[in-house]
Amino acid sequence: MKSVKKAAALLTTILILSLGTSGCWNRRELPSLGIVMGVGMDKNVDSGKLEVTAQLIKTSELNSGSSEADSSGGGGGSSAYWNLQNTGESMFATVRGFTHKSSRKLYWPHNQVIIFGHSLAEEGVLEYLDFFVRDQETRLEVYMLVADDNASDILDFQLKLEKIPSVGISELMESQSANSQTCVTQLNEFVTRLMSPTTAPVAPIIKIEGKGANSELSVEGTAVFKKDKLIGQLTKEETRGLLWTIDKVKSGIIDVKCPDCSGTVSLEITRSKGKITSQIEDGKPSITIEIEEEGNIGDQSCDANLVAPDAIEKLKKQVEKAILEEVESALKKSQKLKADIFGFGEVFHQRHLKEWTKMKDDWDEIFSNLEVEIIVEAKIRRSGMIGRPATPAKE
Amino acid sequence: MLSYILSKLKFLKLLGQNYKLSQSNSTASKDEKNTTSHLSVSLKNNLDLFKETIGNNYDVVIREFTINMQKQVDAVLIYFAGMTDPKIVNESILKPLMFESQLEKNTLASKLDIIEIIRTTMLSVGEVNKRNTINDIVDSCMAGNSILLVDGCPEALLIMTADWKSRSVDEPKTESVVRGSREGFVENLLTNTTLLRRKIKNPDLVLESMKIGQRTRTNVCIAYIKGIVNPSLIDEIKRRLNNIQTDSILESGYIEQFIEDAPFSIFATVGNTEKPDSVAAKILEGRAAIFVDGTPFVLTVPLLLVENFQTSEDYYSRPYFVSFIRLIRYMAYLISILAPATYVALTTFHQELIPTPLLFSMASAQEGVPFPAIAEAVGMGIIFEILREAGVRLPRPVGQAVSIVGALVIGQSAVTAGLIGAPMVIVVALTAVASFVVPAQTDSGGVLRIVFVSLAGFAGGFGIMIGLIGLFIHLTSLRSFGTPYLSPIAPLSVADLKDAFIRAPLWTMITRPSFIGSQDPKRKDFRLKPSPPSEKESQSE
Repeated sequence: MKSVKKAAALLTTILILSLGTSGCWNRRELPSLGIVMGVGMDKNVDSGKLEVTAQLIKTSELNSGSSEADSSGGGGGSSAYWNLQNTGESMFATVRGFTHKSSRKLYWPHNQVIIFGHSLAEEGVLEYLDFFVRDQETRLEVYMLVADDNASDILDFQLKLEKIPSVGISELMESQSANSQTCVTQLNEFVTRLMSPTTAPVAPIIKIEGKGANSELSVEGTAVFKKDKLIGQLTKEETRGLLWTIDKVKSGIIDVKCPDCSGTVSLEITRSKGKITSQIEDGKPSITIEIEEEGNIGDQSCDANLVAPDAIEKLKKQVEKAILEEVESALKKSQKLKADIFGFGEVFHQRHLKEWTKMKDDWDEIFSNLEVEIIVEAKIRRSGMIGRPATPAKE
Repeated sequence: MLSYILSKLKFLKLLGQNYKLSQSNSTASKDEKNTTSHLSVSLKNNLDLFKETIGNNYDVVIREFTINMQKQVDAVLIYFAGMTDPKIVNESILKPLMFESQLEKNTLASKLDIIEIIRTTMLSVGEVNKRNTINDIVDSCMAGNSILLVDGCPEALLIMTADWKSRSVDEPKTESVVRGSREGFVENLLTNTTLLRRKIKNPDLVLESMKIGQRTRTNVCIAYIKGIVNPSLIDEIKRRLNNIQTDSILESGYIEQFIEDAPFSIFATVGNTEKPDSVAAKILEGRAAIFVDGTPFVLTVPLLLVENFQTSEDYYSRPYFVSFIRLIRYMAYLISILAPATYVALTTFHQELIPTPLLFSMASAQEGVPFPAIAEAVGMGIIFEILREAGVRLPRPVGQAVSIVGALVIGQSAVTAGLIGAPMVIVVALTAVASFVVPAQTDSGGVLRIVFVSLAGFAGGFGIMIGLIGLFIHLTSLRSFGTPYLSPIAPLSVADLKDAFIRAPLWTMITRPSFIGSQDPKRKDFRLKPSPPSEKESQSE
């Protein structure tokens, strides 16, 4: 009986004491939250200061349903989001400055995207990223993008399918694995690359294509950073060249010439593997990129019989060539930019530590002249539901 | 803490008072026994004594008549109208005594004890006893027996004629089944024990009777199977039953509250059922059952937590779906105690844990709702309990009206009017439905729900975890007649798990639950798995 009382007293004590140790203890009702779905950072044209755009959801408008259906009529169904802007010197001060303008305190855990304006990215993003890594409310799994112009314009672009632009962009990011032509980057990946002494961070580029009612939001190409500054861009083909190398190709379509005639054959990538190995021979460093790819015939525009063994063999060569070209173009661009987007430096660091200590100081020069051997091995597994194309039989 | 000590002190004081009270009671009853008088030879004196004891009750029938033997003997038959079968009284007692006794004239020796002659040769009734103390006679009369007093004899015959109107054996309302016996216990003790004996036709089935309650003198019967049950369990039950010092036992719930192990716990440690097949299954596992006259609810001890999640039907249906349903019951119980608390914790403390699309719909539903989530949860919980109670107590047609008004007004209109958020209504409704999945734990669930909601509103998921830890500490400390309440989970018995979360096939249940402490652990033989005859066997045939 005594021990029971003792245990009860102990439990009560633990309970009361532990209440104070639970860290960030606060009770907030849902209607008191200003839920941030996306954030954009630009350089203010006039003052040169940081301009942060936070996209909040208007919870009262979420279920109204009539927000964008008749927005083309120019009427004014109010949108389900609110882009709040604030200018300031430092990131955290600017973010906290939103409390002057918003009735609800900003709530960050559900933030989906971070978009850097082009001019800001060119000057460096380091000082603005610290907040997103350090704060306990923000998440590292947020998508990072670079706008080809102003981030605030992107965040204000009303999508046709989604009520909230940030959610639309986040969904867009998730569907990019179907083409593998966008280097989808989350904040943690970006920061990991940023922390490496040699590897160059990358982020997809988002832009508004077209004008007025026909404009669309489009993710295409990759922004290449040197340290934390934007220095160049990859096209979507070059981007896939990068993805082949760093083993991030999930799916996608490769177009090749038909080996027998002038038609086009499209192959769907079903599996791929990329591997980087480093060698140093006679003090001369070199890199080998091995790429394995498996795919199916998805589409052909000619009437050649591609399922014949020799045709498959020829087609395979074509695919290997196409992949090789993509990787080579990415390599060429990055060597020109002197930005090690593939992480070759890290490979040397891991495998040739002794030599690396000598190499790392002038890595940029070594990288731009690095000899790279690319080995591609493609396989064609299936031809879909049919073998030969559905064409009129030839006599 | 202080209030806890105060309440403890108050309780002890109360106990002291009760103790004094019971002592004075017992001395009073002793005095009564000392003055117990024996019958005399005079019929008139005996009758007067009887009338004095029993008073002027309108339902007492005192029938004076004459027995025609060699000489005429005056006799009186006393019984309670309504408690006896008039057919037996008329045909088997009065008729032979008044008319057919003529025939016996020659064969009877006058020297013999008249009352013995009547008992052995004239009454065609099953049970006839001789008694000579007025107390025994009155007791027996109260139980529905007829009393025959004969002039010149200091003894009375107690003739078993008890029979009264009782409800017929019916399907129990609380434990209806799709498959299985539809018999349910009734209010009559004898009927109930008979229902059990019809399930277990074995002389080892022991039904021990005792009377509890100084005024109600309620018949209580302990049922167990000799050879299976642990004798110390029976000793303990008898000890606890004998300790009951109360003047009335009106329902088995009285007994339950006097013998349970943890009277302050919200968990019952004594089980109850209305179904003879459940009682039979339980005592075959080594438990004991306590029948109480006047109620269809039979107590079973010891009770384990897992028993609340079992039904008799589990064993009559095939194991696969039953196992699934049993897991569903555990889930439903967890939902019924944790769903509102989890909702409150998520919406007020851990919004980051809600998937974003769900957060959108929840946030837009909560938009403009004037109350904090905790107030909504507690308020809706209380409103639901009000509706439920009203539905149970009211006559059925009115009950329907209440549920319609409740569902429409409280549910629909409150959401439309923006008083509460739709998700909260869904959570409370889900909780309400889930709480009925495990009927035996509906009351504990109701208390726990409120506790957890308060903890969640106070400290979020952290509070829920503290509550759960406390709950498990409490559960592991509970015992029911010496058996750990959480067994076979804690302490673990792997063999007994076959009937805890799932229900293994019957042919694998070779042993009885080990924690109940059976004398005969083996239930059936090994290798009982049914199979078609193998080729060799069929050839030899």
